[in-house]
Amino acid sequence: MKENARLLAVQAVRQELATLGIDPFGIQIDEILSPTEGLIQGRKTILAGTNNYLGLTFDPDCIAAAREALEGAGTGTTGSRMANGSYAAHRELELELARFYEKRDAIVFSTGYQANLGMISALAGPGDTVLIDADSHASIYDGCNLSGANTIRFRHNDPEDLAKRMRRLGDEAANAVVVIEGVYSMLGDRAPLREFVDVKTQFGATLLVDEAHSMGVLGQKGQGLCEETGTLAEIDYVVGTFSKSLGNTGGFCVGDADEMEVLRYASRPYVFTASLPPATIAATRMALRKLAAADVLRQRIRDNSARLHAGLSGLGFRLGAPANAVVAVLAGDKVEALRFWHHLLKQGVYVNVMVPPATPGNESLLRCSVSAAHTPEQIDAICAAFASWPGAKA
Amino acid sequence: MTHQNIVAQVIELITQLPDMRLPAHITEKTGLTGDLALDSLKVMDLVVLVEDHFDISVPVNELADIKTVGELATLIEKIVGKHA
Repeated sequence: MKENARLLAVQAVRQELATLGIDPFGIQIDEILSPTEGLIQGRKTILAGTNNYLGLTFDPDCIAAAREALEGAGTGTTGSRMANGSYAAHRELELELARFYEKRDAIVFSTGYQANLGMISALAGPGDTVLIDADSHASIYDGCNLSGANTIRFRHNDPEDLAKRMRRLGDEAANAVVVIEGVYSMLGDRAPLREFVDVKTQFGATLLVDEAHSMGVLGQKGQGLCEETGTLAEIDYVVGTFSKSLGNTGGFCVGDADEMEVLRYASRPYVFTASLPPATIAATRMALRKLAAADVLRQRIRDNSARLHAGLSGLGFRLGAPANAVVAVLAGDKVEALRFWHHLLKQGVYVNVMVPPATPGNESLLRCSVSAAHTPEQIDAICAAFASWPGAKA
Repeated sequence: MTHQNIVAQVIELITQLPDMRLPAHITEKTGLTGDLALDSLKVMDLVVLVEDHFDISVPVNELADIKTVGELATLIEKIVGKHA
């Protein structure tokens, strides 16, 4: 086999980490103790990098539902939705998701990544145009790639820049697909959704919004930023995941379009992937019911986010966005950020370290995700760990 | 706009990229990731400069095959031509 440049590049990064003796990307949780605690390298560690926003992973009702489905319907479906893998419960979950979002129909995918991959590649093809935010998640970029469509990036969270690019498209703008996220996973910043919806309406384009990090967290009903900004009815497709606030794995898309019925059959990631196992579907359905009624949990996330945000900014750290379930500390240089991350781990706090090019603005991040299951004491302990870093200002 | 004219403008844009140690002489044949050692982020920064300067949108999928200053100029020419 000839030399593979991509593998060599990855190998170089792995080597750099090995030299430093810090490997955040190979980290293993040896035992998971609760939604917010695990054993890592023999140490009881607060988990502040999990996306377990509502803390539902150990919810007794979700576990009971999963157990019942496991015993009643077996371990797996052993096939794709289009072949032998569509059970009544898959369709019931789709109808429940559609009801939850007040949309006509829903499609369930086997992961959130595949939901974006599957939707974008089914909505657009060669000769079409997809406009995406420059800071989009890899699943959006990969979906564009799979579609073969012309992919145009616009400046992050900049509806004016989108409008400028739509104008350049001329008559083609009405056939374009625009893809944005409600809350961006790296910095936790929110999209100006109302303004984006106005641009898409002005040009008659199709808008897909990925609410992975806002579902369950934002809005009175937990529908996300689309609910909070009153734009849900104007958004053509909402994509989301089961692996964050719903505490499981899987993805979905909801929409009102007539095409919803046929989109799934045009989506290769839907057609050629095994469907979600019965236990996952059952636990997700239970979690969705809980999510819709989780006012208390949503208030707790807001309280915990505000506490962490205030604590860290009080310590002099630069943060990526106003208080939100994602609180990102801007950590500058990559090696410095890796050392900082390692220090936090030794203090018993696990966060995510993100380095360029995955991060915006060429800066490394220490990304905390807040859970409703965190106690105020745990939030304070996270702040204390940050404060103990010798580089902290205060 | 002639091809050479676009090449000259692209070279001028490259010199505007921040924090770069550039070779003294950049030509049509100069490699973007090779000779200039632009990483993926710098390439995207350059694309944004190009887009603003020429008032065009450069599709990400068209960039995969672009290796040199001259090839980028050719792509710009093609897109500008489409808009005309």
